[in-house]
Amino acid sequence: MSDDTLLDRLQRKADGRNIDPRAGILEGEGAQQRVKDPEPARQGMGVLTTVPSRSGPDSAGAPSYYGLPVLKEPLWIWTVPAYFYVGGVAGAASVLGVALEHLGVRRLERLAERCHAVATAGDMVSAGLLIHDLGRPSRFLNMLRVFRPTSPMSMGSWVLAGSGAVNTAAFVLRRMPGALGVMGRAAGWMGAVLGLPLAGYTAVLVSNTAVPLWQQVGRTLPLFFMASATASAGSLLSLFPHTDAEERVLRRFRIAGKVAEAFTREAVELEARQVAEVGKPLRTGASGALWALSRTCSLAGLVMDVLPGRARWKQVTADALTTVGAVTARYAVIQAGKASARNPQATFQGQRQGLGAAQVEGNTEASDGKPLSFPLPVLGQGSAPRAGMPYARFMATRPEP
Amino acid sequence: MGSRKGFFTDTTLCIGCKACEVACKQWNQLPDDGFHFTGMSYDHTAHLGASTWRHVAFVERPVPLQGQTSGAGDFSWLMMSDVCKHCQRAGCLEACPTGAIVRTEFDTVYVQPDVCNGCGYCVSACPFGVIDRREDDGRAWKCTLCYDRIGDDQTPACAKACPTASIQYGDLDELHARAESRVRDLHQRGMTDAYLYGKDAQAQPGTGGLNAFFLLLDRPEVYNLPPDPVVPTKKALRSWASVAMGAVGMVAVALGAVAFGREGRG
Ligand code: SF4
Ligand code: SF4
Repeated sequence: MSDDTLLDRLQRKADGRNIDPRAGILEGEGAQQRVKDPEPARQGMGVLTTVPSRSGPDSAGAPSYYGLPVLKEPLWIWTVPAYFYVGGVAGAASVLGVALEHLGVRRLERLAERCHAVATAGDMVSAGLLIHDLGRPSRFLNMLRVFRPTSPMSMGSWVLAGSGAVNTAAFVLRRMPGALGVMGRAAGWMGAVLGLPLAGYTAVLVSNTAVPLWQQVGRTLPLFFMASATASAGSLLSLFPHTDAEERVLRRFRIAGKVAEAFTREAVELEARQVAEVGKPLRTGASGALWALSRTCSLAGLVMDVLPGRARWKQVTADALTTVGAVTARYAVIQAGKASARNPQATFQGQRQGLGAAQVEGNTEASDGKPLSFPLPVLGQGSAPRAGMPYARFMATRPEP
Repeated sequence: MGSRKGFFTDTTLCIGCKACEVACKQWNQLPDDGFHFTGMSYDHTAHLGASTWRHVAFVERPVPLQGQTSGAGDFSWLMMSDVCKHCQRAGCLEACPTGAIVRTEFDTVYVQPDVCNGCGYCVSACPFGVIDRREDDGRAWKCTLCYDRIGDDQTPACAKACPTASIQYGDLDELHARAESRVRDLHQRGMTDAYLYGKDAQAQPGTGGLNAFFLLLDRPEVYNLPPDPVVPTKKALRSWASVAMGAVGMVAVALGAVAFGREGRG
């Protein structure tokens, strides 16, 4: 900017460290932190114009620190929900592929082949999407530096890497004669074994966080993601041209997936709704709209699929709707999680209602030594602010007497 | 070396001078994160972040401080210097897929910047919203409890700079004893609201206790602290159990679709 003062320019040049390289050396713990522009480092904070110091914009019984978030918003960009979809499809396709290979008859051979191709391609695309999300993409191999069972992301990296390797091997070697073919088919089996967690671990990944909504739906979200992965894989495979014999298998596979998806979605919603503030992002705002859109598309896809009639256009519409429903569901879950991380009351109310540590530890007291309960007793009720006090005019909410 | 170290932050002594914020920035050579006016009392730092490892919160309350009267009437300040809690069960550490976050010989939680690949998982896993990724840097950063100082038997920069001993550094056992006697003392003087936040696993079972614990006068929410935090990992088992259930279902659907679909008319 041209109207920068000299001080501004000096500050920017020195990135706020103000260390003259001739006079001092940069070897503090934070010295290697790279800075391009200091200004956008702290975004999303407006200037407060009222002073609801004691409690947030909510009621006096639900205090917060100026309504600021307790948690940091998840950083994941669009590639992560996209990966949730692609990885789910890859996992479910590899399972169907192996089932076809071992139970199927000759005329289903080509469908099995297609399943393996979808799984292999899905694994490759998944890796690309995940690497793109990293803050330091060149260090993606560090994901395989340790094996850490407490981290679903570590488990998932190993599952994805393993699945990519065996699915590729299966795709290349399956048709070969002799020992190589046997190895290829064994690799296909392993791909199916890894495909199961690949379709579901992403739900553990999101629920194993401090984000109130995601933590809250930890029981039902894996079921929803896996059902939705089945429906997505079935729909995607049905979008490719296929024979009548293949349609008989695919139809059963995808309709079972679509029905399960519809039921588990309601289960997710029920689990989220246990705390009003926690479930809110699934009903309101952009994330709520996405979630509703996703539900509508998925249900429409299911209904169109089971209605009588075998026209190709009808089938294509149904499967396209299911695909859109599955993709938007993942975006909705990510957006809703971000919204719930921004809302301090989602954290506070959930924990005060016994859904924090109390859920697993059975403690009956909060960290302040008082029994868990919500709403909280209003502090200092006897001494509501007098209208004459200098700060009283700033109070957004005055405690009720 | 090797004993458990931590911080005891006694908020009743804090005068809101922000010497700790400045000392931390200077010693660790942290970059600027912009000049902002927030309108939130004297707090223009707002929260901990990738390049802010100490943050002083200013709470204005429309009630007097317990056991005190002042000319300001029904009004009191609460000030608290917030920091990474160096949890016994640290959400960030348990979530990190690269092993960048480690527990040191001082029982503190340390992020190795040369290993972190910026996946951002720790950011969502910390129940206190402490650790953050700096976008132009791409890696996650937080308080190191001055790992480079305490190895040399020096006091961390913030504790060294604090003029009122609101931030105290030392062996955890010693800090616990000191904190308890301080609470007893305050209770005797009529400030019965005083309590210790996150002293040990008993006070905060979800995190197993915090190596950087606090003496507070009001509910945790007022200071932007969670009232009953839990390391997310403690709830992971039920999610993995659901994955196992889902896997059984998926296998059944795949086998069923092939078994019933391979013959006859669909
Ligand atoms: S407060 Fe957050 S960043 Fe600090 S050790 Fe605990 S989980 Fe990690
Ligand atoms: S951002 Fe870095 S420190 Fe945080 S979990 Fe990922 S690799 Fe570990």
